[in-house]
Amino acid sequence: MVFLPSATSATSAADVGLKRSHVDYSRYLSAEARSRLPNPIKSIWKAAQVKPGTINMGNGDPHHTLYPISEVNFVVPSIDEHDPVQSWRSGTGEQNIISSYKDELCALSLRTAFAYGAGAGLKDVRDALADLNDRIHSPPNHTVSLSLGNADALTKCFRLLGDPGDSFLCEEFTFSAMTNAALPLGIEWVPIRMDNNGLVPSDLERILSSWDEAKQGKRPHVLYTIPCSQNPTGSTLSLERRQQIYQIAHDWDIIILEDDPYFFLQYDLGMSQSTIQQYGHTRAMAEVLPRSFLSMDYDGRVMRLDSFSKIVAPGMRLGWVTSNSYFADKLDMLTDSSSQHPHGMGQAFVAELLGSNGWGVDGFMKWILSLCNEYQRRRDLFMDVFRQKVATSGFASAEVPQSGMFVWIKSGPTTNTADLMDELFRKLLNNGLVMMPASTFAIADRTGTMGSHINDRVNFFRATFVGTDETIRNGLATFGRTLEEFFL
Amino acid sequence: METPQIDNNATSNNRVIDLSHHLSDEARIRVANPLKDIMRVISECPVTDLITMANGDPHHSLYPFQQIMYEVPSIQDPSDPVTSWNNSGRTQIFHSYRDQECALPIRNAFQYSRAAGLVPCKDALTNFTNLIFAPPNHHVMLTFGNSDGLTKVFRIFGQKGDHFLTDEFSYPGITNCPLPYGVKWVGIKMDSGGIIPEELEKVLIRWDEAKLGRRPRLLYLVPVGQNPTGSTLSVDRRKKIYAIAQIWDLIIVEDDPYYFLRYNVPQTNCASADPDEFIENFRSTLIPTFLSMDVDGRVLRLDTFSKVLAPGMRLGWITSNKLFHLKLGEYTDSSTQPPHAFGQMFVTEMLSEHGWKIDGFCRWLRSLCLDYQNRLDFLLDVFQREVEPTGYAKRMFVWIEVFFEKHPRFVRERCSGGSPVVARTNTECLLKELIERLMSIHGVVFMPASTFAIPENALWVESDGHVPLSDRTRFLRATFAGTEDIIEKGMIRLGKGLREFFQE
Repeated sequence: MVFLPSATSATSAADVGLKRSHVDYSRYLSAEARSRLPNPIKSIWKAAQVKPGTINMGNGDPHHTLYPISEVNFVVPSIDEHDPVQSWRSGTGEQNIISSYKDELCALSLRTAFAYGAGAGLKDVRDALADLNDRIHSPPNHTVSLSLGNADALTKCFRLLGDPGDSFLCEEFTFSAMTNAALPLGIEWVPIRMDNNGLVPSDLERILSSWDEAKQGKRPHVLYTIPCSQNPTGSTLSLERRQQIYQIAHDWDIIILEDDPYFFLQYDLGMSQSTIQQYGHTRAMAEVLPRSFLSMDYDGRVMRLDSFSKIVAPGMRLGWVTSNSYFADKLDMLTDSSSQHPHGMGQAFVAELLGSNGWGVDGFMKWILSLCNEYQRRRDLFMDVFRQKVATSGFASAEVPQSGMFVWIKSGPTTNTADLMDELFRKLLNNGLVMMPASTFAIADRTGTMGSHINDRVNFFRATFVGTDETIRNGLATFGRTLEEFFL
Repeated sequence: METPQIDNNATSNNRVIDLSHHLSDEARIRVANPLKDIMRVISECPVTDLITMANGDPHHSLYPFQQIMYEVPSIQDPSDPVTSWNNSGRTQIFHSYRDQECALPIRNAFQYSRAAGLVPCKDALTNFTNLIFAPPNHHVMLTFGNSDGLTKVFRIFGQKGDHFLTDEFSYPGITNCPLPYGVKWVGIKMDSGGIIPEELEKVLIRWDEAKLGRRPRLLYLVPVGQNPTGSTLSVDRRKKIYAIAQIWDLIIVEDDPYYFLRYNVPQTNCASADPDEFIENFRSTLIPTFLSMDVDGRVLRLDTFSKVLAPGMRLGWITSNKLFHLKLGEYTDSSTQPPHAFGQMFVTEMLSEHGWKIDGFCRWLRSLCLDYQNRLDFLLDVFQREVEPTGYAKRMFVWIEVFFEKHPRFVRERCSGGSPVVARTNTECLLKELIERLMSIHGVVFMPASTFAIPENALWVESDGHVPLSDRTRFLRATFAGTEDIIEKGMIRLGKGLREFFQE
């Protein structure tokens, strides 16, 4: 028979936490997640760890003496520079070398990093990120699991929580590459109206309170939101809205998937220099960063997705999921049944970077602050040029984004919107400029309760300001010119 | 939804076989990235110097990496790099640069990529694959290792109610994976040479679709160093299995992490310094893969760096026909995304002109194989000395067969009739007891065969003369990945433990 873990091995921290909080989280899970068993080989492996001196001839792991990498050195910016990002970009700054070793002392030995591990990721790295979480969000009672980035984490959450036929809630303009990923799983999306400030809580309430299970199927139990630099609209939810949304989630028993890759790219922060000097960058950032859903999560209904993609690099393929310990356990089981734990080099790098021989957490926050300044500079340049070259014509307008990389430009026709926007997009292309039309991100409403079709409201472009200054200037000049050609 | 406009499986002799009916509903419904259409329109735009304000990609000037250096064994010594490495031999450095030339620069490696992975890495592995495996007409896609690759493959072919075929003793870390979404396994009888082709055929012929649902259409195999039995499929068996797959329209999933660690391989004069000569010799020691004989495009082959570099590398690749390659790419874009920059950079540099190159990597592989061979030989020596004399066990590779019928408490029921799959002996109980005693009293851990046994269903076995799998679950799996000291101690403890168990 296939080996099934005994009852005792299932008594984990997850169960203890469960009893303590008197909440049964299993009802949120998909049928698949409910029936998934832990990896039986790992159960035996764990049992073998118990008695010292035990010889394990059970597992097929290559010995570390056969790993052909004894040392990895990463040449990174020195964090001692006053403005590390500027120094780095101009090539004038000092460099640091961060090293990982197999046979010498370091924060996370390559012996460990290059071995098989549990899906959640190595403890050292999880602990470092849990510490960061504590200092920024002070979450009530949560567990950290590593991911391969937010696309990986999010799509795993879809499998964890969604059954075929389920309806999930999302912002009416959203990161459609991800919402599309849920469709083959049989999940349908219910869009929530947005305004300049993001998703409108009263519309969320309206959808849930008027939901007719007889006609529409099971009431939605998951909300997918991008609260900072919402993709594509660029808005950031206010504290008040977040509290309202959390309350609604509490009332209607909704799990919140907080997808937050732009969280650390915030502008106009007004950070206190004296706080930095006295308490360090982390504390200073924590005081001005938005309040996450995680930070107010007393029900354990938030699964927060953080990523290194925008604050280190996309190819890191590393992030972390923070959730209640029950969900974390189930997520780890799914990871153990699929992609497995993240790569050793990425974990070793993060451990060294955040460790005492690297930048440390405060140094990492200093890098991030420096990044924020750089992105803010580009944002300001973008908005300046936009005002001069585009807004003056009266054919387009845009709010100043408080975070992230996106500007949501209102433009174009208000009738025949979808078709004319398509024409405008192609015209821009022919004039040498690419911007994303809103239709790419639009989620059509199938409930029929929204009042207007989203196609009448797709008169927007999503633009980014991550390119060079030249790109921004030339791009917006082209945009302004093309608008005039189109509308006149 | 229209099917993709590609020449699906134009084979080398221009037979086009449409295998799209094998896809799961999920895979069929999955659409390519919605941004893909826009990307296509953009790429078809004739304007040069296009200004893009479309993507939220951090600029490479903001990546905090200027250089990455990896210290690795020097492959200068052509004969035995692994032994040199363990004896403080010479080392060399692979470099990844942001601003200088290298095989996969940092500024490209850390960008968002799609589907199959970064082109330089994909190309390097495609070259390797073509050189070593010579697939007829296939494409390479990067994965995070074989667990990642396999579970993606299962999702694109399997759905609720389906059955997959595999060895009757199999690695549950993988076979458990599709169970939660309703896929079941059919275990095929094995002997010391692995899965028995005739038994596979019998199951397919006997399959009653009315009772069991759709006939199984996917065969999952670990053809070299099968886990747990350690067996390797002969060339003759591979050809027979492929022929069966053609007749019964099976997809073959070739999971081959130990391919380069095959044992008792005749070592020709393999230490030639000349790269081409070395590769020729090296190739001649390799057993033909299912991939290399795949004229239909029905094989998906999974290779990984886990056992030949390190498990934590989390990098591998899948070689398959174009349709499956596209579908896997779509699924990757809808889930994990392609693998991490670190791994792709390392492997690309390793295979490049400035690294080990393909022949250097093959030298490492050969040297590794010899090292494992030495450890295995040592284990077998000690086994012969400490365990065989007890008379209670015999090794079949390191799938150790225990003669439970010699135990004073062995029970065999004399009954006839009833289900052919229900146990008639207490083999499994005795096995469990032995494992526990070896662990808690003697301090040595083995995996019991029961961990690997695929549950049987009376409907797909022969009713006459079938010995239930439960009565044949009489093996311990041992590995020899440890040091000689560990191996010796382990075998001594096993010998002692067996004596005490049987002489109670």
